[in-house]
Amino acid sequence: MPVTFGEVIKVVRMERFNNDQVSAAVWFAAGIIICLAALRYDLGDFASPGTGFMPLLAGLAIVFFSFLGLVHGTLRRKQGVGWKPSLRGLRWKKSLVVVAALFAYILLLPPLGFSLCTALFIGFLLRTVKPQKWPVVAAGSVLTSLGSYAVFELWLKAQLPKGPWGF
Amino acid sequence: MDFFQSIAMGFQVALQPGNLFFCFIGVLIGTLVGVLPGLGPVAAISLLLPTTFHVTPVSAIIMLAGIYYGAMYGGSTTSILVNIPGEAASVVTCLDGYQMARRGRAGPALGIAAFGSFIAGTIGVLGLMLIAPPLAEFGLKFGPPEYFSLMTLGLTILTFLASGPMWKALLMAAFGLFLGCVGMDTLMGAPRFTWDIIELSDGIGLVPVVMGLFGISEVLLNVERSMERSVFETKIRHLLPDLKDWGESIFAILRGTVIGFFLGVLPGGGAVISSFVSYAVEKKISKYPEKFGTGMIPGVAGPEAANNAATAGAFIPLLTLGIPANAVMAILLGAMMIHGMQPGPMLVKEHPDLFWGAVTSMYLGNVMLLVLNLPLIGLWVKILKVPYPILFPLILLFCLIGGYSLNNSLVEVFIMVIFGLIGYLFKKFEYEGAPLVLALVLGPMMETALRRSLLLSAGDPLIFLSRPISATLMSLSLFLLAYPLIPWFRKKRALLPKEDKED
Repeated sequence: MPVTFGEVIKVVRMERFNNDQVSAAVWFAAGIIICLAALRYDLGDFASPGTGFMPLLAGLAIVFFSFLGLVHGTLRRKQGVGWKPSLRGLRWKKSLVVVAALFAYILLLPPLGFSLCTALFIGFLLRTVKPQKWPVVAAGSVLTSLGSYAVFELWLKAQLPKGPWGF
Repeated sequence: MDFFQSIAMGFQVALQPGNLFFCFIGVLIGTLVGVLPGLGPVAAISLLLPTTFHVTPVSAIIMLAGIYYGAMYGGSTTSILVNIPGEAASVVTCLDGYQMARRGRAGPALGIAAFGSFIAGTIGVLGLMLIAPPLAEFGLKFGPPEYFSLMTLGLTILTFLASGPMWKALLMAAFGLFLGCVGMDTLMGAPRFTWDIIELSDGIGLVPVVMGLFGISEVLLNVERSMERSVFETKIRHLLPDLKDWGESIFAILRGTVIGFFLGVLPGGGAVISSFVSYAVEKKISKYPEKFGTGMIPGVAGPEAANNAATAGAFIPLLTLGIPANAVMAILLGAMMIHGMQPGPMLVKEHPDLFWGAVTSMYLGNVMLLVLNLPLIGLWVKILKVPYPILFPLILLFCLIGGYSLNNSLVEVFIMVIFGLIGYLFKKFEYEGAPLVLALVLGPMMETALRRSLLLSAGDPLIFLSRPISATLMSLSLFLLAYPLIPWFRKKRALLPKEDKED
């Protein structure tokens, strides 16, 4: 009998598993990858452990404990503990905006320099996450940028990246 | 050098104007960090670590230590006034502290928290002075097998005390051990998992990991929740507790001090656990246990004393054996190594100025905190009113600058943001970060100790069980690992408080 698209979706739906089962499965896969990666290095033997010895042990430990987690999660699933949505009722898009801003900061820091990049970063967050009035955004971004430059670059002599205009 | 000469030398170091200044800055920032919910001592010390690169090691450690015990003082303010613990060790203070504030007794609650913290902090430092040097002497008997077994015990205790299923905490510890393997293999000189990224050849830095796991992830969690918080509007007066308050609190403070100090010494124990244990003890021995949670002053005095005494205790394994007892001590260990110091049995002998200077500065720091905390409570309340939407961009910026200025590298910043995301997911799926951090720090030391032990024994793993100290430590670890398998003990463990991230 052909399997419909809807049935496939139903099979892979998270609700079939609980959070512990899903996270333990991810850890199990990660443990296997770590073990395989460790095998690329010299393992040595017990009398003279090599470079890959400890990573292999750590990988095996991850596989073992995640297997325990899978068993534990499955037992709890049978007891009726199901999938608990961790984003329901939360404004998770705000977190996404913050993460995007952090990555943008990393990308833009070398070409724009610390001061401008920081002003844009602070202004963006003040305006988007819980929108503040424009005067607050402008004052907050400029003052934070100048203040942090004064403290870290001028006082603490941290070597912050400079843009084409020298700050 | 005898004990009193050492103390005199310590005060000579700690009273130097530069060191006094850094002690003051440390306790001030620590109090601020304790006051502000969402920013704990782990994140704060990580953020400020790069700023200490230009000062002497003694000043750096004095300041970083000040942040730690300062945060324990400051944490009580938010617990009492807002019912939001400034950091994890003050969770239990909310129960009676906030109720006291609601009944118009915010002043005595804040006052007894400050005095209790001062008394416990001072006695704790005295204990540290008395116990650390002989323990360091004992530590000289340790070889690689003993060190490996001790570190295994530390990790096991931390995973045992973690909330939730133990397999999760053990998984985090194993992942931390793997992360500790990234970089150059110190025995063979071969790179591992570096993917030709130069920054990774020194390993994954502790600071970016900690700032990501505890700083950035906390912000990500906070921005998706409602960011409103209301400060309890009351006139704070009569900060000095009266005689009746003292009568009800003094023994709670002393009991909290003893509990906190010894639980703090335990690797994996710490301020959070000790504050909960102290509260439980006070409730158990009280004539009116049913009134706990309605504004009983011993319920504030005991836990606040315990969490401060625990900070002093936590320095003992670090300074004498080079073993960090918790995540904060792990960062301090990293800081000492950055400054060219190797914490361990030889520290007291090789760098007495650092050891005794740092320890005696804690006395001075405790006095400063008492002076700071009482008159500045009004200021802390005002700071609490700074809206989180204004505050969080600044926290993120400090993280970014802190991550970058470690090595002037954007790779470290990238690692930090990635660990911020990982930490966010960990919290969603209820995994604790503390075992990971401790394992990341201990990982390279554990690997070296393990491989040296096996070299010593020509590959016989029984070396860990054939030497008395190592065998005792290893047996304790095995006992703790087997403990949750026994149903009665499993139920007891489930009642343990959440140690979570910061302590």
